[in-house]
Amino acid sequence: MRYAGHAVLAAVVLFLIGPFLVIAAAGLSAGDTLTFPPQGLSLKWITAVFGMENFRQSFVLSLWLAVGSTALALLFGVPAAYGLARYPVPGRDFMRSIVFTPVIVPGIIAGLALLRHAVIPLGLPVTTALILAHTVLVVPYAVRVVTASLEHLRTDVEEAAVILGATRTGTFFRVVLPNIRNGILAAFILGFVTSFNQVPVSLFLTGPGITTLPIDMLASMEFVYDPSIAALSALLALMSMAIVMIAEKMLGLSRYV
Amino acid sequence: MRIALGIAVALASAVAAPASAQQPTLVLSAFGVAQDQLRKDLYAPFEAKCGCKIVVEVGNSADRLAKLEARKANPEVDIAVMADVNALEAANKGLIDPIDVSKLTNYDKLYDVVKDPLGNKMGVGYTYYATSIIYRSDKVKIESWTDLWKPELKGRLALPNITTTQGPLLLFMADRAFGGTTPDFATGINKVSEIKGGVVTFYERAAQLAQLFQQDEIWAAVTGRFNWPLLKKLNMPLAWATPKEGLTGGLNVLVLTKGSKNKELAMRFMDEWLSTEAQTRLAMSQVDSPANKEVKLPPEIADVLTYGEDTAKGLKLIPPAQMLANREAWVSGWNSKIAR
Amino acid sequence: MFEDRRIGIALAAPAVLFVMLAFLLPVGILLSGSVTTPGGWGISRFTTFFAEPLYQEVVWRTLRLGALVTLASAAIGYAAALAIVDTSPATKGRLVGLFILPLMISPVARTYAWIVILGRTGLVNQVVTGLGLSDEPLRLLFTETAVFIGLVQLFLPLMVLSLVSALENLPADVVPAARVLGANWIAVFFRVILPLTREGLVIGGTLVFTGAVTAYITPAVLGGSKVLMLETLLYQRVSVANDYVSASVIAVILIAMSVAANALLKRAAAARKR
Repeated sequence: MRYAGHAVLAAVVLFLIGPFLVIAAAGLSAGDTLTFPPQGLSLKWITAVFGMENFRQSFVLSLWLAVGSTALALLFGVPAAYGLARYPVPGRDFMRSIVFTPVIVPGIIAGLALLRHAVIPLGLPVTTALILAHTVLVVPYAVRVVTASLEHLRTDVEEAAVILGATRTGTFFRVVLPNIRNGILAAFILGFVTSFNQVPVSLFLTGPGITTLPIDMLASMEFVYDPSIAALSALLALMSMAIVMIAEKMLGLSRYV
Repeated sequence: MRIALGIAVALASAVAAPASAQQPTLVLSAFGVAQDQLRKDLYAPFEAKCGCKIVVEVGNSADRLAKLEARKANPEVDIAVMADVNALEAANKGLIDPIDVSKLTNYDKLYDVVKDPLGNKMGVGYTYYATSIIYRSDKVKIESWTDLWKPELKGRLALPNITTTQGPLLLFMADRAFGGTTPDFATGINKVSEIKGGVVTFYERAAQLAQLFQQDEIWAAVTGRFNWPLLKKLNMPLAWATPKEGLTGGLNVLVLTKGSKNKELAMRFMDEWLSTEAQTRLAMSQVDSPANKEVKLPPEIADVLTYGEDTAKGLKLIPPAQMLANREAWVSGWNSKIAR
Repeated sequence: MFEDRRIGIALAAPAVLFVMLAFLLPVGILLSGSVTTPGGWGISRFTTFFAEPLYQEVVWRTLRLGALVTLASAAIGYAAALAIVDTSPATKGRLVGLFILPLMISPVARTYAWIVILGRTGLVNQVVTGLGLSDEPLRLLFTETAVFIGLVQLFLPLMVLSLVSALENLPADVVPAARVLGANWIAVFFRVILPLTREGLVIGGTLVFTGAVTAYITPAVLGGSKVLMLETLLYQRVSVANDYVSASVIAVILIAMSVAANALLKRAAAARKR
């Protein structure tokens, strides 16, 4: 039974991870077209990617966007998670459902709705629109993860702090926040990744000279057929891998997903 | 909330900072292809002359058209390049302005076919292409559009989807080849539906074809000449068919957005794009086939592009009016007969 | 100390208001297009939509693929999750990390790999023809099978992670106890494990189903125009035809599907409890 279990596990892991190895290998190809097995090995496409101005710009924008919108989402999400977890708020489930709606609305509709009924009527600049949209998308993750992390924290610690004379605000910052720090970091990483990889919502919100990396990749996939996209995908996968490994090592990300 | 908004604004301006320099800015909406080369051959030389900055929004024609429409009250794009069909749609929706061609010093150097492709001088073609069949010469022989119906191509054929610029062209030639006479291409649609089971995919992205040929998925595909340089790089026995019914084709046009605040600069940029020098540079880099008659190309370059007076005159194009009047009918015919 | 509900409301209000104003309002306006008719309100947009045979086919295909992907993920997910909880804590941490990893990688990159793998000369066909299972390479790309495989790979981790956390809460002695009492593995699974982990299954199932029916890149790249799903059709209607009305109809259908799937799974789980 145990061996069968291990065999299944190995097969499943291969199924999940194998495609990345294929992409990584294709990105290391010395040839001019995308194939597997690659035609010889070289780093030429990897170096080529670093030389591509448009990818560099959109990478920087995606990075900023992911950090900024996740930080904003946490500013909204942490107090909301705390308030809804600790206080007898009337209609608590209803409020939580409202906050979670961005997860169930198809991304293309969200992007289109924001473009037509928020960005254009209000005359928002492209970057503001992107920040706004990505923040809304990340809020549900922030609330969910921080809520999970608050559930692990016993309330009597906070009560003790208040009895001992601490203010509520002081208690939150000195007792609660340090204890849910890992949850917040986990939420940050999830939010970062959600925003960084976001395609359908951004599709309609990017503008002249301002485009995110995945959108840029999709646009060049329309016309370009060489290993550069594979090389870039492999680099991004490596980046994600590093983030996950550090996160798992430091805070046990797996508890919050 | 206020703090959050403050941070949002601060972040937004931090990100936007690089783009908001003092010099005049011209916003171009273009295809996401060969932008590095275009910058080198066209944008950078023009920027040096005008002391302005060119900002590019990229995407396929349809996406960019959707954005133009959404932003029509307050357009951010000044000048756009589009496939002829989409430009026609833009004209129809009142998104673009007619062009005062008397201000274009290079206008008279253009092939007739690109001078006024949309009617009413709504757009000027900067490049044109032939559309035909590219096939594996070691596997099949193609001398007519009807050869696409050969049994040996069953399961080995890629055709353009109706949603692409090439889709209507396929129907147009299929219709002609099988003696269709109605503008709704009923014959062509019926004929294509006969072989739909043997079509590997109705493709939407041109670059897909390179992959499909290389992975031996397909032996023949209907596509524009603009795909030829890419496909030639595969080093496979591929050939460009010259069917007896002739070649069709299309063009890409430059249009001016209605309400643009940079009309004058946009016109200068358009003129630059049509100039013999810029057109030659872009042709030599195999980015776009020249629309300017004065461009002289060496044979090895001419061979991969759509080039020459005769080619330009020989193309059978769908008249814009017919395109506009029947596009809905083609799409619904396609949806009920072919897409299912 | 947590009795003052006003503090709770004040803490939650910014997030709730933000989502309402910056998201629900614009989305609501767009979706209202689906029930607005020239004569007022009505469902005529939906009846027109469902009268089109192509669209019926797309709705049906989306439902079918969503259900199949969810079922397959549940089956594979249980096998994998049971094997994971069986390992030592250190290995478990590493394995869970491996399952989180794919979720962090761009779907663009994830889908791209399958084009190379599922092609006529790709890995799968090399194996199939190499083993003599088929003389002709199989046609996989641009079929429902390709979309199915791509979607399972995309969303399986969500199911596995939900099931792992559900299985971890299982009392350690119930499975051995059932075995001692003479139940075979099949009975243990259906009578003990499944009922006790149904919440994980409901969460995982909803995530997988919703993800599968609203995925855009996978059906677009692996299925193409021959395997339209609702999300790819939605994109086509918006981007090619500027048909915002059909788009909002499709969006309502997609949202309804996700909500219904969640309700259905919850009910199925509750029914088993009784």
